[in-house]
Amino acid sequence: MTGTSAALASVRGLCKSYPGVQAIRNVDLDLRAGEITGLVGKNGAGKSTLIKVLAGLVRADEGIVHIDGRPARLGSPSDAARCGLAFVHQELALVPDMSVAENVLLGLGFPARGRTLVHWSRMYREAEKVLARLDIAIDPRRPTRSLSIAEQRLVMLARGLAAQARLVVLDEPTASLSNTEIQHLFRVVRALREDGVGTVFVSHRLDEILDLTERVVVMRDGAVVGDFATADLDRQGLITAISGPGATARAGRRLRRPADAGAEVLRVEHISRPPALTDVSLSIRAGEVVGLAGLAGAGRTELARVIFGVDRPSAGTVSVRGQTVRPGRLRRALRRGIVLLPEDRRHQGNVLDFSVQSNVTLATLRKHRRSARLPLPSRRSERAVAHQMVARLNIRIASVDQPVRSLSGGNQQKVVLAKWLRHGAQVFLFDEPTHGVDVDGKQEMYTIMRELADEGRAVMFISSEFPELVEVCDRIVVLRNGRIAAELEGDVSEAVILNHCFTTDQE
Amino acid sequence: MDEQAVTGRHAQPALAEAPTGTLEPGGADPGTRRTRWRPPSAGHVLGRTGLLIAFALAVLTFSLVRPDTFFTADNLRSMLLQSGAPLILAVGLTILLVLGDFDLSIGSMLGLGGASAVTMMALHGMPWQLAIAVAIGVAVIVGLVNGVIVAYFGTSSFVTTLAMGTVLVGIEFAFTDQKTIYEGVAQTYLSLGQSAPFWGINVQVWIAAGTAILVWLLLEHTEIGRFFHAIGGNPDAAYFSGIAVRRLRVLGFVLVAVAAAIAGILITAQAGSSAPQAGIPYLLPAYAAAFLGSTSFRPGQFNVAGTVVATLFLQVILTGLQMLQLSTAYINVVQGAVLIVAMLLSRLGQARA
Repeated sequence: MTGTSAALASVRGLCKSYPGVQAIRNVDLDLRAGEITGLVGKNGAGKSTLIKVLAGLVRADEGIVHIDGRPARLGSPSDAARCGLAFVHQELALVPDMSVAENVLLGLGFPARGRTLVHWSRMYREAEKVLARLDIAIDPRRPTRSLSIAEQRLVMLARGLAAQARLVVLDEPTASLSNTEIQHLFRVVRALREDGVGTVFVSHRLDEILDLTERVVVMRDGAVVGDFATADLDRQGLITAISGPGATARAGRRLRRPADAGAEVLRVEHISRPPALTDVSLSIRAGEVVGLAGLAGAGRTELARVIFGVDRPSAGTVSVRGQTVRPGRLRRALRRGIVLLPEDRRHQGNVLDFSVQSNVTLATLRKHRRSARLPLPSRRSERAVAHQMVARLNIRIASVDQPVRSLSGGNQQKVVLAKWLRHGAQVFLFDEPTHGVDVDGKQEMYTIMRELADEGRAVMFISSEFPELVEVCDRIVVLRNGRIAAELEGDVSEAVILNHCFTTDQE
Repeated sequence: MDEQAVTGRHAQPALAEAPTGTLEPGGADPGTRRTRWRPPSAGHVLGRTGLLIAFALAVLTFSLVRPDTFFTADNLRSMLLQSGAPLILAVGLTILLVLGDFDLSIGSMLGLGGASAVTMMALHGMPWQLAIAVAIGVAVIVGLVNGVIVAYFGTSSFVTTLAMGTVLVGIEFAFTDQKTIYEGVAQTYLSLGQSAPFWGINVQVWIAAGTAILVWLLLEHTEIGRFFHAIGGNPDAAYFSGIAVRRLRVLGFVLVAVAAAIAGILITAQAGSSAPQAGIPYLLPAYAAAFLGSTSFRPGQFNVAGTVVATLFLQVILTGLQMLQLSTAYINVVQGAVLIVAMLLSRLGQARA
């Protein structure tokens, strides 16, 4: 089956690295007309980067893409469209206030009446023709804003078809769709195959991959590590291929629930916030580091935001040491001693133009008053604390007056941490604290989390790199599609976690 | 230990909030995006005081060209007097700009503030203290309304306050019936704009100086000032640090409205009357001063010192050009051009640094 018909698109030796990470390395891949190819891998395996290179959103460092045997220049999304590639990205790229027809024909130029006026009736007819291929009855005059997510994804697909796409890439297209909608989407994809259109289907849902595709490409650590005919695969085989031989052998560890774990500090009960979270309950005791594992979109960051009071849950409560925290009120959560080190630390963690010193004391400026009554901060006292924190967390800087913007990712993270250490928090929520941090920085972060727990605090550690969860945590909670999928204690390895992440809800 | 030794080496900048110094790519480690930090260089310091230099040059030039009219004590006093009310408005505006917000209703608020104080005395027979309290009270309400709509309902501050400006002109007309009011203004009220308590310098100048110092203290030396800067620098990070972002933004709108009302009171006190729509012409110069000021002392950031020097600079240019007896047409062109050139120069200076 593989290698017989000529490749529609062939990727050769593609490499792309970001500072500190080799996102994809030496990827070779042939995509053929009329073939449905599944693309799978863990978070950070390189799927997204590969797709972005094909879409012309990211330029590869090395390597070449041939379309119809000729080298193609993919410098922008319009280049990709000209080559017959279409994309349904996870973030919808539609203009919400335009009509469906306008969105479908957006890249093509609208049909004109005379030289300047838009020929609206022809435009609606053309859009209707394309939509008919997708078997959906949407009035092309409707504003796109009013469509369901499933309908919007189909409109994006329609845009590609209108541009005569011969290869469509669907990135997690079934996320937040109902079963009926998923079945509809599958029918459409299969019909496109009959028309000779090739499809790349990216999904974390392995059952969908096994159901829909005829070929599966597995990526791990930026490289293509497997290329299978779907018929030869079963679920377990696929999970093994995704997690790699190392995952079962390496990093198995017996999680210890510390014997001296103290009283319960954080309690989360029946939290729901549609569509991200459904009935999530967990608790963390003093002295514990609890890992929160899950695939992208499983609801981990959303849960942390609800606990920190950034977002208001539709149901459920959060309490600290038995006292309920008013939902959706960040300042109340802070007062109860909950702090969050956000994943997006450039935008949410620090004021980048502020000095290290001012960032460290931002949340605790009251403690630096010259006198208790007057809200006048003493720079000398701030400076002393900043120096103390720099020494304690080993923040590598030239001066505490240095703007945080000039620090490396790991050191920026430590500045956020220093801010909260001063605050005297009880509950620390770390959201991907080691993301974009070098090896030494990661080790330091693990040590800090352990120390915080040993001092009697409750620590939640969200990470997409499961080996580090296994290494650091006392207990690991797995989220899947916004629900708790498993709570792991005792013997745990990356493979066990992955298994829970990839299991399907219906089972 | 070593860390301490390294950190101790650099002198603390005068305003520690301002991260001075420059970033340059680290040469040793091409793989990472790390940058090395360097204390401010002499050239950099020169760039930061560019506005002061321009100011000095303007004074010098006009003094040489018109020695017997420009560089006289009378003219200096008169220029200071004319800068007083605009300075209060511009300094108040600086607070809001630090917060990252806009208020285009401050011109109308200035007019309404003056008009309401005067009408309360002239038409409703209120004592001058109460009249001023009413004007300030109106400003507080206007600031609250602006702030709550923008900060809590998330509208664009640009459009909201533009519309509010129209509303305020309407209210002013309702108060004054679109008439110039000059009778029944209390003598003490007039002295607020006309007396000269020390060295023949008008009381407005002292009030303006006091306001500038207070706002400088607020922005640079209080908790609230630090929070204002944090919100302007990164509202999300400020919010995630537990700062009451929305409440403080409302406070910013209230403060700028009150500053506008004070400026309006001083202007009517000096004129001894309230004229319709007197505030509108003060709007753009206030923004010009704040933006011009943001090119110096702490380039790229709105700061009180910059606003003060810029206000005086703009006044010197205006007076000087008038003394050269240029026609109004030329004065407008030169004034605008000076502003644009100043912005350009500072932009180029920043790019090179």
